[in-house]
Amino acid sequence: MNELFGMFQGLISGFGIALTLNNLTFALLGALLGTVVGILPGLGPAATISLLLPLSFKIGDPITSIIMMAGIFYGAMYGGSTTSILVNIPGEAASVVTCIDGYQMALKGRAGPALGIAAIGSFIAGTLGVIGLTFVAPPLAEFALKFGPPEYFSLTILGLLMASLLGGSSILKGLIMIVLGLLLGSVGLDPISGAIRFTWGFFLLQEGVDFVTLAMGLFGVGEILYNLEKELKTELVTRKISHLWPTLKDWAESKWAIVRGSFIGFFVGILPGGGAVISSLVSYAVEKKVSKHPEEFGKGAIQGVAGPESANNSAASASFIPLLTLGIPGNAAIAMIFAALLIQGVQPGPFLITERADVFWGVVASMYIGNAMLLILNLPMVGMWVQLLRVPYAILAPIIVLFCCIGVYSVRNTVFDIWIMGIFGVFGYLLRKLDFEPGPMILAFVLGPILERSLRQALLISAGSPLIFFKRPISGTLMGFLILFILFQIFMVLRKRRTGIKEESS
Amino acid sequence: MEKVKKMFWVSVLCSLLIIPTLAGAQDKFPTKPIELVVPFAAGGSTDVLARLVAKFAPKYFDKPLVVINKPGGGGVTGTEGVVRSAADGHTLYLGYGSGHDLVMPHFQKLPYKTFEDLVPVSLLSVHSVVMIIRGDAPYKTMKEMIEWGKKREQVTASVSTKAGSVDITFQAVGKTTGMKVVTVPFRGGAESVTAIVGGQTDCGGNHPSEVISHIKAKRLIPIAVALEQRDPAILDVPTFKELGYNVVTAGSVKGVAAPKATPLDAIRYLAERFKKVCEDPEFIQAMKDIGQPVMYKGPSDFGKYLQEGYDQYGKLIKEFNIKLE
Repeated sequence: MNELFGMFQGLISGFGIALTLNNLTFALLGALLGTVVGILPGLGPAATISLLLPLSFKIGDPITSIIMMAGIFYGAMYGGSTTSILVNIPGEAASVVTCIDGYQMALKGRAGPALGIAAIGSFIAGTLGVIGLTFVAPPLAEFALKFGPPEYFSLTILGLLMASLLGGSSILKGLIMIVLGLLLGSVGLDPISGAIRFTWGFFLLQEGVDFVTLAMGLFGVGEILYNLEKELKTELVTRKISHLWPTLKDWAESKWAIVRGSFIGFFVGILPGGGAVISSLVSYAVEKKVSKHPEEFGKGAIQGVAGPESANNSAASASFIPLLTLGIPGNAAIAMIFAALLIQGVQPGPFLITERADVFWGVVASMYIGNAMLLILNLPMVGMWVQLLRVPYAILAPIIVLFCCIGVYSVRNTVFDIWIMGIFGVFGYLLRKLDFEPGPMILAFVLGPILERSLRQALLISAGSPLIFFKRPISGTLMGFLILFILFQIFMVLRKRRTGIKEESS
Repeated sequence: MEKVKKMFWVSVLCSLLIIPTLAGAQDKFPTKPIELVVPFAAGGSTDVLARLVAKFAPKYFDKPLVVINKPGGGGVTGTEGVVRSAADGHTLYLGYGSGHDLVMPHFQKLPYKTFEDLVPVSLLSVHSVVMIIRGDAPYKTMKEMIEWGKKREQVTASVSTKAGSVDITFQAVGKTTGMKVVTVPFRGGAESVTAIVGGQTDCGGNHPSEVISHIKAKRLIPIAVALEQRDPAILDVPTFKELGYNVVTAGSVKGVAAPKATPLDAIRYLAERFKKVCEDPEFIQAMKDIGQPVMYKGPSDFGKYLQEGYDQYGKLIKEFNIKLE
């Protein structure tokens, strides 16, 4: 009881810090910048924070600068969905699944409701995530530490299997895409032995293919090539816009998706590495499973946008937990904030909450305010973004390609990556022609290296015994789910086949 | 004298502003901001060092230092970028002496020659490799650990990357102590610390700056340092040598280098100013707080130090017959 009282007291003092004019201004600045970099493909929150670090020394007060950087990070999660929905380019890995139904909604003239529900879902999930950060941070951080290589392997392979069912058209095609994604993910240095794989003598490929390069090529350039062909055939397609805002029906359909997504995002987001990506994937798969109309997924189901977009925002809030309570940065953007704190003389870790209570509570309180700011910022912009679709494709397409090139170049400052993007663009075009879904491929590409590394690390730890995946409680439970999942799928296929035979014979 | 010099620079700068068209080749170095290329990801220990240097630089340099992260290929990509850039002293490599300079060339041919294509400017710091165990492990010291470890089928050690300075150190630990040490490579220092804190592995190796907060929190216990002498960042931790195990490495050396054809004037200027940064009491304190001891050396001493470090790793690799599988 006393503890809870202390938390409220801390939070109130935190609001006292976050509500000063100076801190409010920088929270707004961060949120605004975050939204912009989230929308711009290529330029991510980590790169932006790194560019702004020198500025943060000028600000002086570490609280103010961290408030701004945190704003950039979670602001980017709001912006990330915009390009996924409007032009089918995921702004970052966590928005890949949003493309599937978000873009379909846009094609049906429902870009407004898709963007609207993404913003509202992000706000609710972001806020729920911060509430979690406020009250249950320390015990959960301890739990996250139990997640070692075997647990990562079990979780990732479960996620990957779910990915094969994402598109829904054909399991076989989904599996082919997954295998291709895994192969692409293995380009570069072997994570365990350091051997060089599939680089064809290009030193730049040693670190592997970059996610941004692959996503921009496969989704951005590929989609444009495909559309060019279509637009030429059908002359000018007028892009219709039916509503601007989500209707009451949309809201009724997505409210539970938002709640489920928030919880999934929060728990998966605490895990260091890949949290936001896996959570959006799991959320999509869960929504499809619980939906009464799973056949609508992939054709513009609003739950397919609301769930994953909520999940990645609540994961963003949750990823502050290992940073602030254990001093462990879980992803690149959080690592930048970690560095910024260190440079300013603040040591993130178990003592932060007692030694620098002002930093901890000030930043937490600012996240409540920042999320509200983002909602206010983003809702009016929905109308503006939708107008963008009225721009003739002949003008829009080259602009998208230009932004893709800039985005890809900005990652490593090499022209080489632009060529790689072009190659994947052509490949993405061919996939669309042959009716393959690129989503599972890029997810396998992101998850493949995690899968390989955790498998081999786990086997090194167990001296080669695969029993390690079943003996440890968390990993064992996940493996149990995996086996049930596979059995269920086999059962479904068999039943379908049997009823099919019956129908044929009768 | 210092003031006169400052006045001179101010006047030079003013004249540059007024008559930019006349600004020719005779201008004194530096004529524009100096890029500090860090070939590793932002947020790592080398990056933090670079940003701290950049923070203090305006006091001593006539142009700002700008940190640029170019990660890739374990550090090779960014370093190669500096090797191939204009040798005018405005593009520098920070991190000279890291794993891809002292360890990797023993296993793999690089697209440039580490010692011939770069010239040393200044040594800033040395990050030692410290062996750590969990605070609640059944063993508390090196001796207890070895007793425990010898009875086991294998002892796992988390390391930041395969064939890096930490990996080589632990291969050597295995050979000298008689334990069967299996190194488990992670994706960088932060992940490998997380694994040892979470009890995924039996022990681990990291640079002090990566574990200092966990040591303070008593989650981790440092048991030995792989350097010739004790590390000033963690003075109470003995070296392997003191404990009777001959595991001595150069650690991960963090210095500044420039492309080989950089004019001597520029090198001299840079070395002198980096020295001043390294003598700034506030900088020294800030470095101490993050667990990175300041160890300045000028161009020629730094060059010698690097060569010794490279040879030492070579000897270790040969002596213990370490191979990349």
